[in-house]
Amino acid sequence: MTCCFGWRRRMALAALSLLAATFVHAQTTPVRIGSTLALTGPLSATAQIHKLVGEIYVEQLNKRGGLLGRPVEWIVKDDQSKPDVARTLYEQLITADKVDLLMGPYATGAILSAMGVAQRYDKLLIHHTFGIPNLAKYDKQFPAWSLGSDPGNTVPNTVLDALASVGKTPKTVAVVTSKFPSLHFLSLGAREVFKKRGVQEVLFLEWEFGNRDFGPIAARIKDAKPDFVWVGAIGLDGNLLIDAMKKIDYSPPLHFYVYPAPGPMVKSPDAEGALSVSIFEDHPPLNASPIAAEFTRTFRERATKANLPETNVEVQAAASFTAWQMLEAAVNGTKSLDDKALAAWLKTHKVDTIQGKLRFDGPYNYGDDLMHVKQVQNGRWLIVYPADVAAPGAKLIVK
Amino acid sequence: MTLPSATLLAQSALSGLFVGALYGLIGLGLGLSWGLLRTINLAHFAFTFAAAYLCYQLVSSTGIDPLLTLVVIAPLFFALGCALHWLVQRFEVTPLNSLLVTFGVTAIIEAGIQAIWSADFRRLESHYAQAKFKLGALFVPVPELITLGVALALSFAIWALLKHTDLGKALRAAALDAPIAAAFGVNQRVLALLLAGTCAALAAVAGVCLSLSFTLAPSQIYAWVGVVFAAVMMGGLGSALGPLVAGIVIGVSEALTMAVTAPSWAPIVSFTLLIALLLVRPEKA
Amino acid sequence: MNRRVVIALLAGGALLALVPWLHLPAFYESILYLVLHWVLLATSWNILSGYSGYFSFGHGAFFGAGVYTTAVLAGKFDWPFLATLPAAAAVATGLGVALGAVVFRVRAVRGELFALLTLAVTFVLATIVLNTPIDGGPGIYLSAVPVPALAPTQPGTFYLLALAGAVGSLLIAYTVQRSRLGVGLFAIHDDEDAAEVMGVPTYRYKLAALAISCALAGVAGGVHALFISYVTTGEVFSITVPLTVILMSVLGGTRHWAGPAVGATLITALLYAFTKGDLALAGKATTGAVLIAAILFMPQGIVPRLLKRRAAAPAAAKPPPVAIAPMSAPALALKGDTLLRATALTKSFFGVQALAGVDIEVRRGEILGLIGPNGSGKSTFINVVSGHYPATSGGIAFEGREIARLAAHRIAHAGIARTYQVPRPFAHLSVRDNVAAAAMFGGASLSASRARAEADHWLAFTGLADKADVLPDALNLHQRKFLELARALASRPRLVLLDEVLCGLNPAEIDDAVALIRRIRDAGTTVVFVEHVMRAVTALSDRLVVLNHGQLLAEGAAADVMQRRDVVAAYLGTAHAAEGH
Repeated sequence: MTCCFGWRRRMALAALSLLAATFVHAQTTPVRIGSTLALTGPLSATAQIHKLVGEIYVEQLNKRGGLLGRPVEWIVKDDQSKPDVARTLYEQLITADKVDLLMGPYATGAILSAMGVAQRYDKLLIHHTFGIPNLAKYDKQFPAWSLGSDPGNTVPNTVLDALASVGKTPKTVAVVTSKFPSLHFLSLGAREVFKKRGVQEVLFLEWEFGNRDFGPIAARIKDAKPDFVWVGAIGLDGNLLIDAMKKIDYSPPLHFYVYPAPGPMVKSPDAEGALSVSIFEDHPPLNASPIAAEFTRTFRERATKANLPETNVEVQAAASFTAWQMLEAAVNGTKSLDDKALAAWLKTHKVDTIQGKLRFDGPYNYGDDLMHVKQVQNGRWLIVYPADVAAPGAKLIVK
Repeated sequence: MTLPSATLLAQSALSGLFVGALYGLIGLGLGLSWGLLRTINLAHFAFTFAAAYLCYQLVSSTGIDPLLTLVVIAPLFFALGCALHWLVQRFEVTPLNSLLVTFGVTAIIEAGIQAIWSADFRRLESHYAQAKFKLGALFVPVPELITLGVALALSFAIWALLKHTDLGKALRAAALDAPIAAAFGVNQRVLALLLAGTCAALAAVAGVCLSLSFTLAPSQIYAWVGVVFAAVMMGGLGSALGPLVAGIVIGVSEALTMAVTAPSWAPIVSFTLLIALLLVRPEKA
Repeated sequence: MNRRVVIALLAGGALLALVPWLHLPAFYESILYLVLHWVLLATSWNILSGYSGYFSFGHGAFFGAGVYTTAVLAGKFDWPFLATLPAAAAVATGLGVALGAVVFRVRAVRGELFALLTLAVTFVLATIVLNTPIDGGPGIYLSAVPVPALAPTQPGTFYLLALAGAVGSLLIAYTVQRSRLGVGLFAIHDDEDAAEVMGVPTYRYKLAALAISCALAGVAGGVHALFISYVTTGEVFSITVPLTVILMSVLGGTRHWAGPAVGATLITALLYAFTKGDLALAGKATTGAVLIAAILFMPQGIVPRLLKRRAAAPAAAKPPPVAIAPMSAPALALKGDTLLRATALTKSFFGVQALAGVDIEVRRGEILGLIGPNGSGKSTFINVVSGHYPATSGGIAFEGREIARLAAHRIAHAGIARTYQVPRPFAHLSVRDNVAAAAMFGGASLSASRARAEADHWLAFTGLADKADVLPDALNLHQRKFLELARALASRPRLVLLDEVLCGLNPAEIDDAVALIRRIRDAGTTVVFVEHVMRAVTALSDRLVVLNHGQLLAEGAAADVMQRRDVVAAYLGTAHAAEGH
């Protein structure tokens, strides 16, 4: 019967177009990625770098067609530098906003909060700035910062190796550190490493994070006359100490800072020769790849426009970019947004990032230790060790 | 542990003296405001930092000497201080409520600073930063010396004003008993506005001195609140010399602790001293 | 106590406890947790600082003590989480009481000094925690501590715990406000010395309020430790907690038990309204603006403003006639025996001898006039007898009991009351409540309801019945003096000390006052009164005592004493004495 046949055809057509519409709709519904950042509060100075990197990455990603052919939308909320707010906002992102994927927040405290939430909902959490690997006990978290699983041991060893490579193994060391959780353990680990490698500790000082007066500390370092000063500094501490040392006319022969705020340190004329660690700096060979080149150029433009004092890509921006690269790679590798599948993929595959090829199958999902030694030379951070990632022609300079 | 050398102790004490002088300089306007105007002005810290940022901006854009920026900045903040106090007077805000109002003002100023200069660190580059000279075996950095000098000068000037001039007496009278003072011809409203403006101008001076030695970030506003409040309360509300003395005591005691033992113990010495002082001789505090 | 409020709070709490079973997205449970957490913290702060006026800047210390107790016990010693909460409360309370026991004894540490002291305690505690094995630097990691399954979800459990804490704190705050403790705290807030002399055991009450405040803060800390699951000294002991609880309480209203809760809810809501990334800075500025506007237009706080609106028309109705409680008739047979005897009483202030060894006897049932030129020690005598100042040396026996260096509130309980030369009413309590407070805390020690009835009686006695509901600053000087009298009498004293009660009154008012004082004595109270108005002195006094330069100059019947040459010389100068009378 014509009518029935016509009816069936119309039903088929309707079903098909409904399917097509859903398909098209699915094509155009954005993939929503949620995270928080410390947009206000004490941590905001560094968090704004992560905001900028995220924006750049998502923009470029969408230009390339997004994820799985769908546009990507990044929902970022302000956790006001407070871990309890971060926790609540991640719960909001997951349970109320129902985002598809998560990206980590800034700094260890907030990441721990986010990790707890991610664990309860079995969501993948890629993060970029976590400092205490042995606290990362969730199996679906993945670090973009290639700290290695035992930085308390590996970082000091790398630093000593770097010094040894230019024949400058120190005989005496002063270890001065803030009690900030994510670097205190590094300094304590450094003390052990120095002892094992026969470097004599002539001074050990700890200060509370937030200390304003570094005069007495500088005076004690000067008095101890060390060959090498290991400074467990984060944020401005390093600068304050350098200023204080300069004020008493003291310049340590070799000085190393764990996590200095990059801009202020590189701009200070007295910081010439200061050492630190990095996973990426804006010079060859690491910035030579097309992706890295484009990223560093875009970042510089946008940072300048945003009136940021520091416009070069360094550790923070690089770790952030890496995190996004990991997320994109996992999604493309599994062609899905399923957290379980993504996590399984990351554990068994290597990801090509601006830091190099990263793996995540070590303890706490950490992989290789890619902390290279960098130095302030002529107002720029240059990686000086190991040689294969060092800036061309750059060597560790000792005064 | 080897005993610290005399030079080490002296240098540390000097360092503590300088940072304490800054506590006292910031606290000067705060204490006057609290004691004589009955306003707990949390926004004093925001004014200090706003002035520091303005100084940074003027120096970066025009290259003039940081101290000269006060010519522009001090009157500006004087006006701001008057405006804020006019608001307080108009609504007859009690001291406790003034804490809330000024907290709101601080939040607005902090947001404004971050909007203009971003949350990132700003450091004033000036020729003062490198200048220092030697006094025997001790090094004396010039920016800190300027801060100390300014703190001493202003504290003494205000002390002299309050104690010996008619204006000062009128201010103190108005603070003690405004209606009676008014009966004696003291124009309390105008005086209060002048004083509030002066306190804000003092905050501006403190801000400029701060910018000479410290790196700025918007969230740093709150880093100073605790210790400066302590210096003010210890030195006595409405006192001109008190905050400076108290600030120096705090700074030096912490510095000496840091010179002799683990620096992370430093706050305990100054604050235990304070607690002991309060309990044994509260009137002297 | 209004049972309806208690039932409403409990019912509301029970209803809200059902929320986790609504299976809302976990986010709502967490944000409600944060609101309730701040309600608990702000309310706990207010019980001491809002009610008594002892402004604490150190709530962070007690909160932090609770946080670290739970963190250490659960994180390092594997205690079950719920068991750590009483321990957290205990540690915080212990810390607070130890502090208060020392600090509250020092009379001069009030106001800003107390604020400073509590701020300093926070810094000291933070440093100790950071530098000892309690924390030592790395922070304490609690993610491995199992969260008890009180609700279907983990955030739900925290929500329930915070709900219990918040409802508990509101009930406690309400109960305290309506109890003797609350009235005493409010009296301390307005005038601590007058309160102590009136009979409020100020030391004990302040300590009690502090203990309650710390216990609640400790519990809040313990729960929060597990919520954030990673505890560091920098986060826990920052200036945020003490500053925020003050702001919340002031915004909501510090004199009302529900004030801090309203302030906490509003400020937490504001904080969360602006977490969208691009609104962060604008949100901060807007929050600031909203707070400014709120406090400028609602200076007493939000809750009092809302309550004022609802109490529409002022009650112009006259208070219902009160059954006058019969006064215990004095043992008139004992009239004439010694009620009070001061022996070699001395009081020095930094070398100035205000009283230089006086011997004064007050007989039961008499009106004793205490006169002398300015600076002779009359007011000092009253201050020392009532306990306002401790005597430097010498003894005071009241009804045979030695009272010389007792705490003032014990002297009040023994049966002595006084008025102040410049009236010192409790400024924030109504006229009736001023008098009721005296009835509650003085020698009579009545319950709250009977005290109010007693207050009405005395207000009628002194002619202030129609002013019972107004605040003292609406009274003129004459009325305020009579309020002092009513307050002194409400404690049913056996001895009342009047300090220049006629000063500043016009002749008609003086006559009223004289008549009143006579009625007071006739009703069975012995009166000692200091006065300069000579016609009143001669009209009222059974006996006179004359002081000069802190020493007893003369004593005896009024007519005799006034004739003596040395008395005239002391008052008017030797020339007049020589003139004769």
